Amino acid sequence: MKKKHYLFLLFITSFMCIQSQNRKTQNDWLGEFKVGVRVQKTQKLYWENGLTVDFTSPKILKNRLHLGLSYVSSRFGSAMGSNAIKQDNFLINAGYFFRHQKKLQPFGRLNTGFFYADYESEIFDVLPNTALLLSLDAGFSYQFDAPITLQISTGYNLNTGTGSAGPGTLFPVFYQLSLYYTLFK
Amino acid sequence: MNYKKSYFKLTVLFVLFFAACSEAPEINNETMLDGDQIFDPSLYNPEDYLVSLSVENPTEIQKNTPVLITVHGYSASTFEWDEFREYSTINANILISQVLLGGHGRTYEAFKESTWKDWQNPILAEYNALRSKGYTNINFAGSSTACPLVLDLIKEGKIGENGMKNIFLIDPIVIPSDKLLTLVGLVGPMLGYFESTNTAVEDLYYYRFRPQETLNELLDLIDKVRKDLQKGYLLPTNTNMKVYKSIKDDTADAVSAVLIYKGLKNSDGTPINVEMLDSQLHVVTRLEGRENVTQKDREIQQQVFDDMLTILMQ
Repeated sequence: MKKKHYLFLLFITSFMCIQSQNRKTQNDWLGEFKVGVRVQKTQKLYWENGLTVDFTSPKILKNRLHLGLSYVSSRFGSAMGSNAIKQDNFLINAGYFFRHQKKLQPFGRLNTGFFYADYESEIFDVLPNTALLLSLDAGFSYQFDAPITLQISTGYNLNTGTGSAGPGTLFPVFYQLSLYYTLFK
Repeated sequence: MNYKKSYFKLTVLFVLFFAACSEAPEINNETMLDGDQIFDPSLYNPEDYLVSLSVENPTEIQKNTPVLITVHGYSASTFEWDEFREYSTINANILISQVLLGGHGRTYEAFKESTWKDWQNPILAEYNALRSKGYTNINFAGSSTACPLVLDLIKEGKIGENGMKNIFLIDPIVIPSDKLLTLVGLVGPMLGYFESTNTAVEDLYYYRFRPQETLNELLDLIDKVRKDLQKGYLLPTNTNMKVYKSIKDDTADAVSAVLIYKGLKNSDGTPINVEMLDSQLHVVTRLEGRENVTQKDREIQQQVFDDMLTILMQ
């Protein structure tokens, strides 16, 4: 599990390095770069919380396309101090934001990534505990006067567990709330 | 003009909504348990199914003989434990109480009106009746939905210390395999009921049509049990548990066993016993009425029966 955390950190660091390098060589390439926290509730299952970053560029659909990374886990939600299964979602996403110069922006987003559930006992090694994530979500983003952005959305996982394949705690419907701080613009 | 357009759209939406609302299912009374002609046999002759009724005044030997309360799953009937009863009659000296869940084994309408608390009541009634008659070696075996029902009884303290010796859970459901069940509250009222793919034999013993109200009840039950397990609790003193779980199960997701293993411990805090079965059947202990049963399925069934009987006779 530690390897996966290191990989994720490496991914974020690489992403930020590329950002700063691009900034030096091509100042007009970077639109907005935001970091934030995400709270996620799955319908009839867990709270999974974590971190998220969001990036836009005037050169990619004039800031309308948002690219992002996120990591949410029940480790920071339902599994804290309880017997809920510890599970991690590593995601990259691309979202299209309407009314991009307004404060309130409706958006739709495509997410993909990796899911891992830790069953903790070797009795359950026979069960699938990883999956490719593929989901859609849609909602609203609100840009405050301060460098703060609030996003709420509802999403649907297309690749859920079926009993015959896939992790059993990968459920279809989820709700998200993300709060971003704009690092640079 | 705009007002008229909006009114028209709203009317279309209402028409579509009500058109989507399903009518009552087409039940064949002569071939389906759902109808008003076929009922669970335990309703006609309860004394043939319940030890508490079959033995008026149990002897000391009978009081110390293992009594196994067997309970079926959602939409099923006492039939689900007939094969175990036949097997144990030949291979062991135990008494069996085949309990019919409340709302089950009757009509579609009776099922539709029942709650999960109604389903649970006959389990507790038989347990209490056996206790009051002096039975000292009471055990429980449940399949599928019977498992969260008994887990709830344990959590609520209705099965106390020294109340049960062994509890066997066959394919317990805490997490459903069909994840769309989590949306039944949303789409259920539009559909009214869900139709299962029973064989002709299964139609006699399992409801073919599942009212959305009962699926909501099932969802409420497993949601409560999952949250209880999340907090964690212990088995009563001197009660042992064994869970048998198919690794591929299109009804009760195998991860249900993980949640029970993590959330429920023996009274001394040690882990409960879980065995993962290399099976693709939901409730492999019932094979009658199924299509395409393999020799491997029969071997797994016998292995589970033998294991249960060995534990009961210890």
